[in-house]
Amino acid sequence: MEYWKDANEPVKAFLELFNRALLDEELKQGLKKVNQLVWFDYTEDGPNCSFHVDSRGGQLLVAPGKPAEAPDLTMSLSADDAHRSWSNKLNPVMAITRKKIRIKGSATGLLKLAPKLKKISVIYQDVLKDMGWEDKIMK
Amino acid sequence: MWGNTGRIISLDLNGGSIDVLSLPEEYYRKYIGGGGLAAKVFWERGNFSANPLSPEAMLIFMNGPFAGLRLSGASRGSVAGCSPLTGHWGDSSCGGYFAPELRYAGYDGIVITGRAEKPSLLLIEDDSLKLLDAGDYWGRGIEETNKSIKQKYGRNYRTLVIGPAGENLVKYALILNEGHHAFGRAGFGAVMGSKNLKAIVVNAKKRELQLADPKAYEVLRKELNAKIKQALASTVMHENGTAANLEGGVYNGDVPIRNFTSNFWEEMAEPLTGSTLTEKYLTNHGACAFCAVACKRVVKVKDGPFAIPKGPGPEYETIVAFGSLMGSMDLAAACKAGRVCNDLGLDTISAGGTIAWAMEAFEKGDLTSDNADGLALRWGDMTTVIDEILPRIAKRQGSIGNLLADGSASAAAKIGKHSIKYTVLGKGLEAPMHDPRGGGHGLALTYAISHRGACHVAYPMLFMEMGACFYPEIGFEFELEPMTDQHKPETASIAVALGSIENSACYCQFADREISIPEWVDLFNTVAGYGWDIDQMMKAGRRVFYLQRLMNHMYGLTAQDDDLSPRLLEPAIDGAPEGIEVNFPDMKDKFYKLMDLDPVRGIPFKETLLRHDMKEEADKVW
Repeated sequence: MEYWKDANEPVKAFLELFNRALLDEELKQGLKKVNQLVWFDYTEDGPNCSFHVDSRGGQLLVAPGKPAEAPDLTMSLSADDAHRSWSNKLNPVMAITRKKIRIKGSATGLLKLAPKLKKISVIYQDVLKDMGWEDKIMK
Repeated sequence: MWGNTGRIISLDLNGGSIDVLSLPEEYYRKYIGGGGLAAKVFWERGNFSANPLSPEAMLIFMNGPFAGLRLSGASRGSVAGCSPLTGHWGDSSCGGYFAPELRYAGYDGIVITGRAEKPSLLLIEDDSLKLLDAGDYWGRGIEETNKSIKQKYGRNYRTLVIGPAGENLVKYALILNEGHHAFGRAGFGAVMGSKNLKAIVVNAKKRELQLADPKAYEVLRKELNAKIKQALASTVMHENGTAANLEGGVYNGDVPIRNFTSNFWEEMAEPLTGSTLTEKYLTNHGACAFCAVACKRVVKVKDGPFAIPKGPGPEYETIVAFGSLMGSMDLAAACKAGRVCNDLGLDTISAGGTIAWAMEAFEKGDLTSDNADGLALRWGDMTTVIDEILPRIAKRQGSIGNLLADGSASAAAKIGKHSIKYTVLGKGLEAPMHDPRGGGHGLALTYAISHRGACHVAYPMLFMEMGACFYPEIGFEFELEPMTDQHKPETASIAVALGSIENSACYCQFADREISIPEWVDLFNTVAGYGWDIDQMMKAGRRVFYLQRLMNHMYGLTAQDDDLSPRLLEPAIDGAPEGIEVNFPDMKDKFYKLMDLDPVRGIPFKETLLRHDMKEEADKVW
């Protein structure tokens, strides 16, 4: 991995990102509208390198690892590309076309969040800064 | 001949003679089908000096080699000829169900000249070709006409019908298949109307198809259909239609607002986007023949001022043209406007663009109620648009109807003042609903160089700039940034070949994004037996592009015509593209060099034509 020391680092950063994103009312409502169990699968960088978000039925749960139930949507990519993605430095359409991101299930709901990536990337920068990982911030 | 039938119906409406022509196989191999083959047929037989609405004008419907072969997105068809809207070569493609039925009946296309003495209908039933009286249908809307034809002949009779707009020679009148699949652009409904041809109806019993390698094709077809169905873009469009990413486009500055005067209107994004259409109005999904994507919408607006019964719903272009482009965020109004345009027979892009132009002209005082029959054309007033403006255009009623029926370029020339500044055109064609300042600067280049005028589907530049294409086999590996000119001329030089192949093979640009370049070649070889490699296929694409440029040369166009209205090139005032310059002259210069185009005449140099096996064409222009 180019950006991460081990598989725990990205999961820690991304969980914090989502927890903070939920404090933003617009993002919170946007995530609720996704209404899916989504597994962000980075296991190509380690078996525990993943987390999931469950926004079914109005709930918003963020937890590490693969969900116990079958996810509605799985997004598989490397932890480095996930870092680029949350930093708003990865064109998701291009990444999907070039198989850097593999999708299983309906991504229609998540697509609605794509315009919010800029906002999410600002929160992500703060997360990295607060975790003492300023060196990981992509310019 | 494999794949194609090699047979073309030739209908001369002056006297009503109907023959069947055989085209040389070489034409298919060199110009593929669809828009490319139609151009070749016109080049050989057409009259470049004929007024497009005169009896001498030639109207050509042409299939691609895959029509009816049960491959997702591959059963589209083309119509071509001189566009009455632009006055030069134009073509338009359509999904739906007509092209496969025509192929099953044993024909690749229809060439029409002349003018019938009275309203007529061409009925094709395998080898039986009849010109019938269509007096009962004349003056009726497309929905009613389509229904009546199907009641008379049967549900499986596939129709092409024009509406009142076509009959009244509105220059952006369309032709509809099954009442809602559109040959939308460039005004060929008016050409049919000028010929007194209300409808073409086809039904096939034969269904004989001869493929070069049917077993290999069947394996490939199954693989590709599965791949297309599972693709992310397909699932997204199946769920939410072609407007699925409208919301994303708003944030990119791709979605035009109030006649392209703004690139950002956040409040409109959610009310108009595809998922909102799904949630509020969708009743069923619709599809073109054999397509697993099924991006079409069937909608019902239950109540309110824009209530409509269950029926065809709008796709992206219509939603934006009758939404943000007119300063409206009323999705129900866009649904109704689309339905009304369908019935009257109006292209929603040019109708929307022309009305949005009129709204700006009205706002700025160039157009007043005095020369608009007492009407006020105000941003967002969709009731006036739907109830007053659209019917008047289709019937050429009053000053405003006649003014707008010839398109925005003609209307601006008529009312003068500053109104030419509000037109948004490429070669006289109203621009589609992707603003290249936000959607991608390469799109500005391909809008400008497209033979029919500003067009987002002539070539796949939009998809290439957004990152949806990756073709390492032909050197397309660029990671493009939409709002720069970097690599855009190089990308355009690939895009023109790809787009020419797509529009000649009559592929859908949504479905075929999932097909790799080697698979494209395999399709041609298993179906038509061309024995092509990638280079030969790309050469055929470039050949079609070159021929279409020669067609426009014959209509008097030069390199100067590869341009856009200033509005599309000046820096945006807001949104993501705010203040960014479009470096159009440099992109165009580089593109011309890459494609070996004469910088004054705009046509390929003689040596280039010879390299593309176009000696006869070269001798005519050099």
